[in-house]
Amino acid sequence: MESKTAKYTTTILERCWLSKITYELILTKPPFFDFSPGQRINLIYSSSQREYSLASSPSDSNLILCIRLVAGGIFSPELCNLPSNTRLQFTGPHGYFTFKPSSRPAIFVATGTGVAPFCSMVRSGIAGYTLLHGVQTPEELYYADVFRSSAARYVPCLSGSDRTSEEYFKGRVSDYLLNQLPPDLYDFYLCGRAEMIRDVTFLVDDILPGSFIYTELFY
Amino acid sequence: MKLYTGTGDRGKTSLFSGERVLKSHLRIEAYGDLDELNSIVGALIASLPVQYSQVIEELQQVQSDLFTISALLATSSDSPSMDAIEEITPVQIERLESTIDRMQEELPKLHGFILPGGHISASWSHLARTVCRRSERRTVRLLEEIFPTRIPNSYQQALTYVNRLSDYFFALARYCNYITGVPEKLWKK
Repeated sequence: MESKTAKYTTTILERCWLSKITYELILTKPPFFDFSPGQRINLIYSSSQREYSLASSPSDSNLILCIRLVAGGIFSPELCNLPSNTRLQFTGPHGYFTFKPSSRPAIFVATGTGVAPFCSMVRSGIAGYTLLHGVQTPEELYYADVFRSSAARYVPCLSGSDRTSEEYFKGRVSDYLLNQLPPDLYDFYLCGRAEMIRDVTFLVDDILPGSFIYTELFY
Repeated sequence: MKLYTGTGDRGKTSLFSGERVLKSHLRIEAYGDLDELNSIVGALIASLPVQYSQVIEELQQVQSDLFTISALLATSSDSPSMDAIEEITPVQIERLESTIDRMQEELPKLHGFILPGGHISASWSHLARTVCRRSERRTVRLLEEIFPTRIPNSYQQALTYVNRLSDYFFALARYCNYITGVPEKLWKK
């Protein structure tokens, strides 16, 4: 079951800012590197390393990472300052957070940059899902266009904004699940902070027992 | 990175195939025993003098094989997650058998029951043998429940491996005493 991983060299092509604190890092895709949508790589530079989910599709010509700049973080500030053409290494692909087709409706739940693996899945052709994206402000709703065009329901959940709009659900993703999701058996895919994963898992245990849960912990 | 999410705080856990089950579920009991066994193998490795690197490598392969079996037991057989699951192959079973045969050739003939113990490594190996037998019993119960008519080949291979593994630990316990010069103690009625 352990994935056979190898070490690859890649080069920074570009950095595209998605919000004030989040950017896409676009990297060259090494020959013979393959992955499944939803998997992650362990990016290595100097003595630092960190795992990131790929936001690109396996068929894309480059690799795309969605990175939140964490002040005082162990890797993201250093990574943020690396210029184009910097060479990095990575191992991978890692993980099993991949889409499993079933008769149950798929509910993707993400907080912040936890949408990255879902972005990869959607760019690879997955459609008809429900996506709950929990963020604090509308500026952090990156990839909204990608999801709007393929989701059965795209629900931005804003927990930290006073703005009211019909476009957004005001509250946390767990509030939406508790109050808005019709009773059924679902496949939940959870990617984000530990607190969200715990809260949603308990909710599913309590009100949607028999549903399936796949998780990917982001930090 | 946080090691914990707390999703198991209320007595349930998730299978690799996504189902939420009680931690007392037969699957959890079965792969929990394999986890215990794997940890004992780790202690066994740590107790071996470094010059026995071949035995250490064999045991590390056993640890990997135990992960493979644990993953199989943590996954519903009809789940798409099975695509990511490796199977125990006849090659892995034959490797255990040839290792047992190789040790047996060096060991003195056995004339009775031996008391588990001796060198610390032999003692760990005896403990591994008994936990392996418990794992096997628990796995059989699980497979009886989920496959009442016929056990699929991938599970049968895993079961054969675990059965052979107990024999391996018995032979290894004797071998550890033999190579470290600790005499075996026979059962006296």
